[in-house]
Amino acid sequence: MRISFQEHRDLRPNRSLVCSPIGSAKRMLHGFQLNWRLWLMVLGLISIVGCTESLPDYTLRFGLANSPTNLDPRYATDATSARLNRLLYSRLVDFGEGTIPIPALATWRELSPIHYRFDLQEPRPLFHNGARLSANDVKATYASILNPATASPHRGILQIITRIDTPTENTVDFFLKQPDSLFPGYLVIGILPANLIAKGHPFHDHPIGSGPFQFLERPDDTRLVIERRADGQRIEFVRIPDPTVRTLKLLANEIHLLQNDLPPELVTYLSTHKGITLQQRQGANFAYLGFNQLDPVVGQELVRKAIAHAIDREHIIQFVLRGRARVAQTLFPPEHWAGHASLSGYAYDPEEAKRLLKEAGYDHDHRPTITYKTSTDPFRLRLATIIQYQLDQVGIDVSIQSHDWGTFYGDIKSGRFQMYSLAWVGVKSPDIFRYAFHSDAIPPVGANRGHFADVVADRLMIQAEQTLNRQEQQALYRTLQARLLDTLPYVPLWFEDHYALASTTITGYQLSADGNFDGLSQVRWMGPPSVPPTHLARLYP
Amino acid sequence: MTHFLVTRILSALLALLGVICLVFLLIHLIPGDPVEVMLGESAQPTDKETLRHALGLDLPLHQQWWIYFKGLLHLDLGTSLFSGRAIVDLLIERIPATLYLSLVSLLVAIGLALPLGLVAAVRQHTPLDYGAMGFALFGMSIPNFWMGPLLILIGALWLGWFPVSGREGWNAVVLPALTLGTAMAAILARMIRSSVLEVLGEDFMRTARAKGLSSTRAVLHHALPNALLPILTLLGLQLGGLLGGAVITETVFAWPGLGLLMIEAIQQRDYPVVQAAVLCISMTYIVVNLLTDLLYAWLDPRIQFTTGEG
Repeated sequence: MRISFQEHRDLRPNRSLVCSPIGSAKRMLHGFQLNWRLWLMVLGLISIVGCTESLPDYTLRFGLANSPTNLDPRYATDATSARLNRLLYSRLVDFGEGTIPIPALATWRELSPIHYRFDLQEPRPLFHNGARLSANDVKATYASILNPATASPHRGILQIITRIDTPTENTVDFFLKQPDSLFPGYLVIGILPANLIAKGHPFHDHPIGSGPFQFLERPDDTRLVIERRADGQRIEFVRIPDPTVRTLKLLANEIHLLQNDLPPELVTYLSTHKGITLQQRQGANFAYLGFNQLDPVVGQELVRKAIAHAIDREHIIQFVLRGRARVAQTLFPPEHWAGHASLSGYAYDPEEAKRLLKEAGYDHDHRPTITYKTSTDPFRLRLATIIQYQLDQVGIDVSIQSHDWGTFYGDIKSGRFQMYSLAWVGVKSPDIFRYAFHSDAIPPVGANRGHFADVVADRLMIQAEQTLNRQEQQALYRTLQARLLDTLPYVPLWFEDHYALASTTITGYQLSADGNFDGLSQVRWMGPPSVPPTHLARLYP
Repeated sequence: MTHFLVTRILSALLALLGVICLVFLLIHLIPGDPVEVMLGESAQPTDKETLRHALGLDLPLHQQWWIYFKGLLHLDLGTSLFSGRAIVDLLIERIPATLYLSLVSLLVAIGLALPLGLVAAVRQHTPLDYGAMGFALFGMSIPNFWMGPLLILIGALWLGWFPVSGREGWNAVVLPALTLGTAMAAILARMIRSSVLEVLGEDFMRTARAKGLSSTRAVLHHALPNALLPILTLLGLQLGGLLGGAVITETVFAWPGLGLLMIEAIQQRDYPVVQAAVLCISMTYIVVNLLTDLLYAWLDPRIQFTTGEG
């Protein structure tokens, strides 16, 4: 006889003897004890929700600190998106040795100071949907950026364009409001297919470009899979926010490549580990201390010079950054075409710093007090603490205020600071000087957040931009940088190096000068994967 | 019962309305401007005004609230300022991961806490009791951001049994669930111990023993069910906490859930996503608490009776 659950309960001999006040609670517990089906259902549900598709083993995994926020180059502003979009889209112009603009998709001619002609190079690449890239696509991309309705953050600098023409399928003409010899360097945004722009294709979700890689899937916001068009090699970008976990994942061979964004001690630890190789290259990301020129303390040039002399940058680089940086004197590194290699900066000299402070009216009993804003990033906070100590040694009291990135950056952009530290990342064109230091570039118009105003510097910036001769332009930019080092709107700190840590199971990755991911075009497995997929047959015949 | 149900649901709806208002105001209270976030520093003032108008941010506050509220009713939470994706899609992508992690963590917590709490209660003032409560203290004292890497080191690096992070593979949930579950188990074990201890002295327990039931049977069948009420309340609160509070664990284990989404959105100042994530977590708390109240009333008829009279 089949005894049902209810019958079984009713057959219990002692049930009526136990006068428990909470009868239904008991019944529920009995239910849990006996209803194994319920537990099976719960476990089944959990396994259904929990099972996610695993990618095959031949995929090369790249650990990232941040996910790319937007795969539509018209909107992308963060470094990770920009680096990934370089793989997915091709652009008219790139930057070569000395950060000089060089042809990528197109060569160019200056038909007049306000008329540039770009000729697309043959063979023109194919978009991932099979269509061939044409002048129309270039025009549609830039026209879309210039359309206020698109709300592209790249519109600002490109508003110098008044008209775009396409005389032939291979030719694009750009007409400008005024002469700007730096103009070709602005055309570095990935080209999108014109017909898809017109249809409002969601490029941010399903990018279609003509770059060396094509988008495959984005299983969730922390993972992105792309495929190399040349041979089908898959690369999966995995977001792992915690640097320690990123390190452990590389050690466990769950990811095969990491680039930047690790504390120096973890880089050193990994570099000594068997099975991991370290590549290092001088970088151009410029770290600096910024000041509010309207502040009565740091608004004084003497105080800023005292700060410059009080910071021992060489020792910080040697002991804190573990040698993975070089001292900076100006915003561009010496190898940049507009850089200034012979510029000598402020040597570490505490006595000179004390003398300058005394000259500014401060002494042992009357010490200047400065609030130093930084982010909550532990490494940046550590650097701030060291600078606080070094400034204390010369007689400057520093209180550190650390905020989460959004609040900190919001404060800096709004001018709510006395002193702060930050870095310019990925800057290539010298128009940055006008954007960051011209007296007309006070936010929201520009990024002169410290309200720096210097007539000489203003004149040099404008002259340099209007000069069409490259040598003259270079000389003017060098004079400008010497002026900025003398007046100190920023105290230059250092250029941090780029590094890549790779598992020895892969080879061929070349670290680029600006930290982009272009090296993925050449990366290979050391040996054939354990189960070669069909689409990799060309790689491992 | 109906009166109790209606009262509880109404008060939950009221709380939800309050949360919606607060979440709506969030975008206007925290420093920063969404338009500037979208367009960057170099944007022209005219472009900013155009976008502000397009987003409806130039409308009076009450009109903006009404539009936001109507959107909520249609499950339209807007789009992310950075990725341009619909927020509902983002939530649909992330919530199952958090739900899964929370459920497994809850099972881990119950699996650990139940035997520990019972043993500690039945063997009061013995080394077993001290051991179990020592574990509870240990579990409560260790922060998740330390426990997580420690478990990774042991489980993934030394033993190689589990992946370091992510959500690929059936075993990926083990380490994050242990991290979340042990902290919860510690609190639960203490609650089970004190609850069961209280019940063990009751008359019906003496009756149960007098009729010849073994000690184990008496505890499992009579003491535990009667000690369940406070434990259930705690479980409800903890589950709400698990669903919304797995932020640190999800960050450490790169677990693609709601907590990680919220952290990313806060870092990027992606206001609509922060709004939606906060709303989602608050709603979870409200719903779980409502369900706990209803379950409580169902388990103990005296509660609904009292409520009905009052």
